[in-house]
Amino acid sequence: MYALGVAIDATLITLVLALAAFGLAIIFGLIGVINMGHGAMLTAGAYITWVCQTNGVPFLLAVLVAAVAVAVIGLVLEHVLIRHFYDRPFETLLLTWAFFLITTEVIKIIFGPEFRSVTNPLPDAITIGGIHVPAYRAAVALFALALIVTSAVVLYRTSLGIKIRGLIQNRQMAALLGLNIGLTYKLVFMAGCFMAGLAGGLITPMLSIDPYIGNVYLVRSFFVVAVGGVGQLLGGTMIGSFLIGGSETIFAVVSEQAVAQTIVFALAILVLRLRPRGVLTPR
Amino acid sequence: MKYTAALMRAPLSRRATLKGMTAMAGTAAAASTLGFVGAARGDEPIKVGMISPLTGAWTVYGAAHSAGFELAVDEINEAGGILGRQVEIVVGDSRTEPRVVVEQANRLIRQERVDFLAGTFSSAERNAAGPVVEASGKVLLYPTFYEGQLQEYFPGVCNPNIYMFGPEPTQQVWPHMEYILENFGKKFFMIGSDYAWPQVTNLFTRQKLEELGGEVVGEVYIPFNTPQYESVLRDIRESGADVIFHTLTGSDTVNFRQQYAAAGMKNDFTLWTVDDEEVVTTGLGPDVSANDYVSFDYFMSIEHPNNAAFLERLRAKFGDDVLMNTVGVAMYNAAHMAALALNQAGEVSTEALRGYLGDLEFNDAPQGPVWMRALDNQLVLPSYLMKVREGWTGVSDMFEEIQNFQGVEPQNAQCDSLPLGQ
Repeated sequence: MYALGVAIDATLITLVLALAAFGLAIIFGLIGVINMGHGAMLTAGAYITWVCQTNGVPFLLAVLVAAVAVAVIGLVLEHVLIRHFYDRPFETLLLTWAFFLITTEVIKIIFGPEFRSVTNPLPDAITIGGIHVPAYRAAVALFALALIVTSAVVLYRTSLGIKIRGLIQNRQMAALLGLNIGLTYKLVFMAGCFMAGLAGGLITPMLSIDPYIGNVYLVRSFFVVAVGGVGQLLGGTMIGSFLIGGSETIFAVVSEQAVAQTIVFALAILVLRLRPRGVLTPR
Repeated sequence: MKYTAALMRAPLSRRATLKGMTAMAGTAAAASTLGFVGAARGDEPIKVGMISPLTGAWTVYGAAHSAGFELAVDEINEAGGILGRQVEIVVGDSRTEPRVVVEQANRLIRQERVDFLAGTFSSAERNAAGPVVEASGKVLLYPTFYEGQLQEYFPGVCNPNIYMFGPEPTQQVWPHMEYILENFGKKFFMIGSDYAWPQVTNLFTRQKLEELGGEVVGEVYIPFNTPQYESVLRDIRESGADVIFHTLTGSDTVNFRQQYAAAGMKNDFTLWTVDDEEVVTTGLGPDVSANDYVSFDYFMSIEHPNNAAFLERLRAKFGDDVLMNTVGVAMYNAAHMAALALNQAGEVSTEALRGYLGDLEFNDAPQGPVWMRALDNQLVLPSYLMKVREGWTGVSDMFEEIQNFQGVEPQNAQCDSLPLGQ
């Protein structure tokens, strides 16, 4: 029973982290933009959700509004800045970092630094085999699983997916074969921003909404993508999230929380040393 | 009377009692007619450096922190200033980083030439400022509830130039232990953030708990910015605890307590926090925070005539939505007590401040009368235990008072030599 509890916890943590990291996995993994603005996009999604809910919009609609709004912000960012720098990763790192700093300050100016909270739409716990599981967290975990699997299907089973994968494998060849590279990049970037906004909205009932809410997940998300393997959208995100998030609760069974977190990051570094391109990418 | 003794400056009985603002203004007038100390510079303002976390991780506390000090300085200036001179605040933003505190403290002292410093927020920030005030011979007035003074953390504590205006664990926790034990049980699970304040607070709490026949059934420390608490919540459930003793800080508080509530555990345990004042509780919202217990020296909802008058002036200056808390009130008290001390001393210097701050009483403190101990630079203050009301709508109906103790003395500081600086 104790083991079942640990297993459920590890699953929940893995899937919620996978959700938070997914937008980065798309942008960093598919088009190679080191998006340091990922945390700010989560934060923006959280605040937009909060504003909508405070003004009477139902929670799920509020989350959807947040995701669309962040996607639009992403579209503007991509069109004005990012698209000119696709072949210069270091510059995009600086640009997206600047985006993070500016967004965080703008949020502080508009909304102030106070902690905010939204009403949890599913405030109760459900019982599975004698284990109490927070209903909302479980729902988010299931949703994350469905979302990531669906995205993988799009990537591996549709013509759009073939185009995107072709683009990743060989950009010049894809262009020569008549693929509209600019548009595909734009779509992928927007999709990543949409996912970040969505995740930002969905984590609000579990976390404190403050201008730094996205930071909690920024470093973890990068680890997830790096450990899982850049471009490994389904398996990589899942394995990375398990190693960075879910495994922590298992280590916490035998050690203190602070030690468990250290072990996890040490393990991540070890994995990267042995498999520099991620667990799922062949060396 | 004590008051005359103060004016005579008898070296061993400097205890000075002042009743209210009028008396303070009166002293200012008296000092300027009698002494004319520094009369040539009469128009030049007295500069005070205020170091607040205005940006960075603890920005959320910065607003109350600086508002308390600014309100007090306004009141001091309206009452005639210090020795007839106006007080001017020079602001330094700590950005919540100890490294920046060092830069700002140096800038305020060396470039701005402030007469003394007030502020810093976390213990790490205060400890960073310690060596700077030590080297420059300036006083720092420190506002935050903190872990008490142990010589090994000198010069951040046990420093004759640093005065503490917030409660330490034996003032904030100990007075309410018996009530909690009698009503909710003797088994404590301690959860805190992974740094000095929670660990030392838990050390003191454990000591008193075991004295009273209770036991600690779990103790965990959480790294900053932890988003998930599943394993901790499971440990708490398995531990058989009655009371969760809570010293998490900042957003981790909100993260933990939201997940604790969502796990359906609120009915099974009593949660007692010594970190979540008005600002954090507002962020938690009524559903997550209802029926939890909080102890501090000050709450916006305490019913004390001083507090009513204080809140009226505060809202007149900052608007009806202003949030105040223990730290902001400590900044308020610090400014007023420094002004009282300097007015009595008749001059503005570190020696004057230190000479007259020790044993000084401040009867207008919003939480009820407080006084500074000359022995270890620690404030004697009230201690309140509150319960968060169900369905509260704002700071004025957020807390319900369970009990209070006035004039709670701290444990003596554990420093190499007491009184400090002698």
